[in-house]
Amino acid sequence: MADVDEEAIHLPDSQDSSGQIEVDLSDETQDFRFLSLLSDNTQATLPRRGEKDFEPNPTLYQADGLTASRQAMHNALAYPRLHNPKNKIIAVYAPDGPAPPASVLASKDSSKSDDTHKTLDAAAAAATNIGVSPHACVYALNPKGQYFRTMGQADRWNRVWLLPEEALYLLERGNLEIWWPLSSTSCADDNNQGELGVPMSLQAAYSCLMGRGGLTMERFSVFTGLKRLGYTLLRAPGWDEAPEPEKEGEDLQKDVVNESSNSGPSGLFGWLFQWITDSHSKSINPATGPLIGLGIHRSYREPSLITIPVDIYRRLDLIPWYDPAARKAPAEPTKPPFRVVFHVYKPSTPFRKTAPPEPDFRIAVIDARAQTTLPTLLQLGALLESTPLDPPRGEKMERMLYMRLRHGYRNVILAVVDQGVVSYLRIGDAAFGKEKMYKSKAGLSGPKTGGYSRSKPKAR
Amino acid sequence: MDFTPSLPIPISFISGSYFLFSIDDVTYLRREHHICGVLIGTLPQIPQQNVFLGLPLQLMPEEARLLVEKGVAYIVDEAKAQRDGMKALMEADRQRYLQDLESQGLQASRLQATRREQQREEVLKKMEKKKATKVKKDSEQKQQPVPAHTDDAPSDLEMFASSPQPAATPSGEGQSSQASVPPSYPLFTHLHSQGYYLSPGLRFGCQYLAYPGDPLRFHSHFLVASAEWDEEIKLMDVVSGGRLGTGVKKGFLLGGVEKNAEKSQAEGQDTIRTFSIEWAGM
Repeated sequence: MADVDEEAIHLPDSQDSSGQIEVDLSDETQDFRFLSLLSDNTQATLPRRGEKDFEPNPTLYQADGLTASRQAMHNALAYPRLHNPKNKIIAVYAPDGPAPPASVLASKDSSKSDDTHKTLDAAAAAATNIGVSPHACVYALNPKGQYFRTMGQADRWNRVWLLPEEALYLLERGNLEIWWPLSSTSCADDNNQGELGVPMSLQAAYSCLMGRGGLTMERFSVFTGLKRLGYTLLRAPGWDEAPEPEKEGEDLQKDVVNESSNSGPSGLFGWLFQWITDSHSKSINPATGPLIGLGIHRSYREPSLITIPVDIYRRLDLIPWYDPAARKAPAEPTKPPFRVVFHVYKPSTPFRKTAPPEPDFRIAVIDARAQTTLPTLLQLGALLESTPLDPPRGEKMERMLYMRLRHGYRNVILAVVDQGVVSYLRIGDAAFGKEKMYKSKAGLSGPKTGGYSRSKPKAR
Repeated sequence: MDFTPSLPIPISFISGSYFLFSIDDVTYLRREHHICGVLIGTLPQIPQQNVFLGLPLQLMPEEARLLVEKGVAYIVDEAKAQRDGMKALMEADRQRYLQDLESQGLQASRLQATRREQQREEVLKKMEKKKATKVKKDSEQKQQPVPAHTDDAPSDLEMFASSPQPAATPSGEGQSSQASVPPSYPLFTHLHSQGYYLSPGLRFGCQYLAYPGDPLRFHSHFLVASAEWDEEIKLMDVVSGGRLGTGVKKGFLLGGVEKNAEKSQAEGQDTIRTFSIEWAGM
């Protein structure tokens, strides 16, 4: 028996002509035998879901299938990373953080030999000296190729410093070879051929780079997952657990005259609070008098009588709301994990490493095992307030009410990570209060003209 | 394929998570102990997709704990092990290791070259066959095989998961204490002992997904949520769980440790009770 209301739930999806909502194959474990379909260029289609059995039975047929799948998985995972000498990129791990090359240090030391011991502070100072992030800990000696278009920071000695997540991602991909520095080994350095020790294994790279400079497994899962899909990611100012990241250029609304709400709660709460105190001081008080009052029972929308406003609706407008476009008070400070840690750019967005544009998405990463409850309104409000205003714009948004509502005025993406499995949720600050249905031309336009299209708004 | 690694297997503990880096360990644990974990690495063959992922394998703390309790594995503090391993690396080892890599790289490139050669020959044969069916136009062309590509420089093989390993033994100090697990652990072990394969379940709004067989070949049957025996469960959670489960053709499974667990354990009874909830849709 088909559930009628369940059909209704699916209706918006089925109306989506662009067909953007499709099954996410990475949702469940896929049969590795289909991997050959991917690697084989002649057949570029992904496997279809649902080609699995319901439950185990003792047939040989099933046992054979399972063995074949496992063998395919084994073979795929056992594949070695091969580097062609022509485009091999060699990098060196710097356990103490960014530092000038040894040769430069040596020449310095001859003059000033008192600062030979390196503490983390010294490393940070050195990092600012050579103009790279203090969290960078791997430098590429021969940086070339497309990957350095979006990753890495160059120093004066033509080395490109990589952040831990960038280095680990490139290593996993098989595009980078990270070497242990000779200083980490007990090798004699009399026959010193530079600073290279031995190549690092993937295992060693994980142990050295994970947990460094705020890189958690959850953040790394999000980083690589999106990187594999072609997005460009940058660390956001909120990456560090430091007090409060600076605001990202959002002084558009500074000119809004602020009354007395400086002392009261701010943001979402401020608006709620304020509504209680002064919103309905207009003409009548619904708490003491009749809601509608006398004399306007027929005052619905009447186009012929423009002088009479739509009083009934206005009086019925009891539910408090606030205008997200008008910011009044300084935002609450965000607290980890509800804080933007990645700026994400679509592959189509023109990107320059030195002058990154406005990000397409902002992502906060949450560990589902540490944070087991939904964020509170306070946390969510602070998180949204920390993102710049992004009102729905464009002709399509003007036309389509539901797209406008869905887009909201601020938005942020939560990446909830449960032991390597990532779920993405988009949170938008929708302004239902701004969409006065009684003022719209045709009243409720319905899903036909409103459109439930899930397609993401075009990049600005 | 039926290879058994030397037991117990080391589980790398890095920055609060548990990892496996050896493919033999991964295959063995999957086959013999129904432990699947989650692959989180990029497959170097096809790096730009998320459907098929590669090593390392991340284990849930529950999985790590279970394996250690079974005596199949032990936990290694990987950062310390790697640092010590590198400190113990002498010049001679280093030279040997580099030479090893070099020779493996050469071998791999030779293998690739022969494979290319084979492919090329196959293609040539096919072409010749095609030509043979046609009218013989020019016999010269056939006798001149295309010269093999000799300018392909040998590739270098990067050898992973086999860098000089410290001699960490189960009894050594590298073994840290047990993995700390959430309170749902008893239910996890119970389902695991019943032959279910379990994986993280947040995608379906639950704690675990329970598969009747290897997830490679079977769909999951249950969305698992654990609860304390006297815990008050919100009706809304039951309805939404049951409804979601039915919607994705799975049952919603609630379970937990029975209150008088110690007593029934002494009597040799099962101490875990499980309930499955389905949206009846009347």
